[in-house]
Amino acid sequence: MRDILSIVRDNHNSIKITPLIRKSNLSSQRFKEYYGELSEKKFIIEIINKNGKVISLTERGHRFLEKYKTIVSFIEEFEL
Amino acid sequence: MIVSPTFFATLGMDMLYSFVIIVTSLMVYFGTKELYELSNHKGIKYFRLAFLSFAIAYFFRLLIKFLLLSLNIRELMELSTQLIGVVSLWLFMYFSAMSIFYLLYSVMWKRWSGKDFILYIFHALAFVIGLIVTFTPSAKLYLLINLFLFLFVIVIVLFSYIDSKKKKKGINLYGIYLLLFAFWIINITDILIPSFLQTYQLLIYAISIGIFLAILYKVLRKCGGS
Repeated sequence: MRDILSIVRDNHNSIKITPLIRKSNLSSQRFKEYYGELSEKKFIIEIINKNGKVISLTERGHRFLEKYKTIVSFIEEFEL
Repeated sequence: MIVSPTFFATLGMDMLYSFVIIVTSLMVYFGTKELYELSNHKGIKYFRLAFLSFAIAYFFRLLIKFLLLSLNIRELMELSTQLIGVVSLWLFMYFSAMSIFYLLYSVMWKRWSGKDFILYIFHALAFVIGLIVTFTPSAKLYLLINLFLFLFVIVIVLFSYIDSKKKKKGINLYGIYLLLFAFWIINITDILIPSFLQTYQLLIYAISIGIFLAILYKVLRKCGGS
């Protein structure tokens, strides 16, 4: 999930769905699952601009990426 | 209200002790709020709930101590005749048991994945333990319940420890968790049977504060500014 978010961020926070699937190196089924979860958690949002429908990170998505290492190390530290 | 010469000294010490533990527990709870909100991680959720339950339990522990001292009651069973005593005692035992169960669940939830009913069993168990302690006037039974809780925790933590060793996962925190469980149970015994551990009360308080501060230090070091 973090990889998908990183790809969106590294593409100036605006990427179309097809290149996102390609760059994520995931099967379409697995991508669909992750994408659904990311949308549900409000980490990404679909925006329609002059290029058509693109995917962007929300403020929450940015924050998650910032805090990802902290979250993982906290879970490991406390055996959670 | 009969005020004995040691009333303020004893209550003052208990208030200070409870205040430190409640603040420490709440700092753990609120310090991990953002991590949970971002991750929705089940382990973090129950870890936080454990410390919230510790804070609530310690609040009622202090209230019971206050009632025992201010009403000049020497045995906890006498408290069961007053409504405020009954409610405080039940809430204290319920949240005490739940704090232990939540912490256990936060460590074990992956192994118990798909068995959500375990959490309902824990709630039911805490509810029943609360009722037994509140309405059964027997010091032996209190000791037996605490012994059962402690053995239950030791067995599960031991299994988890062996499992972690097999997977070569970090095992540094199990010692602290076991100490926390042990001293929390000693704290419960101290309130249920006041005369039982009176000689060692200061030592128990000091070590309990040390354990909570060690956990808070680890949490703050990991969470940093969050």
